[in-house]
Amino acid sequence: MPALLKGALVTLQLTGAALLLATPLGVVLALLRSAPSATVRGTVAGLSWIFRGIPPLLLLFFSFFGLPILGLTLDPMAAAILAMTAYTSFYFAEAFASGLRSVPPGQWQAAAALGLSPGRTLIRIILPQTIPAALPPYISHATEVLKGTALAAAVAVPELTSAARKVFVVNYRPLEVLIVAAAIYAVMDGLLVVLQIMGERWSARRRGRG
Amino acid sequence: MTWSIIEPYLPDLWEGFVTTIWLSVLTLGAATPIALAIALARHLGPRWLSVVLGIFVNLVRLLPALIVLYLVFYGSPQLGVRFQPLTAAAIGLIAMGAAYMSEDIRGGLAAVPQGPLTAAAAIGLSRTHTIRRILLPIALPLTIPPYMTRAIIMVKGTSLASLVSVSDLTAEATRASSITYQPYAFVVIAGALYLAINGVLAIVQILAERHFRRRYRMAL
Repeated sequence: MPALLKGALVTLQLTGAALLLATPLGVVLALLRSAPSATVRGTVAGLSWIFRGIPPLLLLFFSFFGLPILGLTLDPMAAAILAMTAYTSFYFAEAFASGLRSVPPGQWQAAAALGLSPGRTLIRIILPQTIPAALPPYISHATEVLKGTALAAAVAVPELTSAARKVFVVNYRPLEVLIVAAAIYAVMDGLLVVLQIMGERWSARRRGRG
Repeated sequence: MTWSIIEPYLPDLWEGFVTTIWLSVLTLGAATPIALAIALARHLGPRWLSVVLGIFVNLVRLLPALIVLYLVFYGSPQLGVRFQPLTAAAIGLIAMGAAYMSEDIRGGLAAVPQGPLTAAAAIGLSRTHTIRRILLPIALPLTIPPYMTRAIIMVKGTSLASLVSVSDLTAEATRASSITYQPYAFVVIAGALYLAINGVLAIVQILAERHFRRRYRMAL
């Protein structure tokens, strides 16, 4: 049990690091998707197709076993964070892009007419309206990230799934060990769902005031 | 890196590719009817059934796929059944796929307006007739985009089978990498092959959407 909880802590660290890196990256990618340059838009769309079309396990193997060839050797944890970030940012970008589309373009024009700079318009006008629309898909991808960290077991990151494996290999009781691990995952997922409900309530209240 | 290093492993990669396709077809083919049955049962069935199925679906959706595969592969011997790796992987992937797909289909069923159903009842159509001729033809076109997205995710998910020792594309690519110390080449080849499978699915999606649009003259 302590071994499993230690693994759960690593799982949370992995999830937290991947979310922290992928969220701003996702925002940038979402904005680049509506960039004025067709080359930029095309490149982002192409990369998005590749990163969302390849199994995450393969991306993980690539960043762990493949990058050393290019002169970059990562420890398992860093490789796992890199692969999950690359994979997740493109899913987040899709979620944010649909949120951005839900804001009518007239608002950009109105803000420009008032003399707001594009940066300020984005931060003060556009993003606050994007968040409520992007929140549900964002959280469901965050849940995917949490569950996806189980893959890191394949490159020997000592997270929850590999901790569980280590325990049942020793005690020959895979069923019980895995059910406990499953319950820990369910609790962590449940916390994210609670966060989503709170976030939705919060943004509904803010909107009601505004 | 040269061609001579890659070439000896091409037959293995090909076999892995075939296993991946076989596993994909098997999981999609089995998960789809199960998902449809779950969605219909939850939408139309008695309350207790929809509660029981709801618990199953959400339980499975809360767990990492790898944990589900481990439960089937390593957990089943404790219950007195021992599965081949491929069977265990297929069972786990089908259970996951059916749970997720049933939610996609349920969304489509919920989107069907009440009007046509009331009308069907008014002209005296039987329940099964209404489901077959009214409910499904309206609901299924709506579920195609999320269904195909799910199908692509499931094809990528078959790569997990390599972790319960199924010799699929991912397993063969990693094996060849660790023998030759050439990870770059094999992982890229495997990635390209996955993209090819998913490209075919994306084309199927476009064709299916066009077919339904023409058949039901609906704006999808």
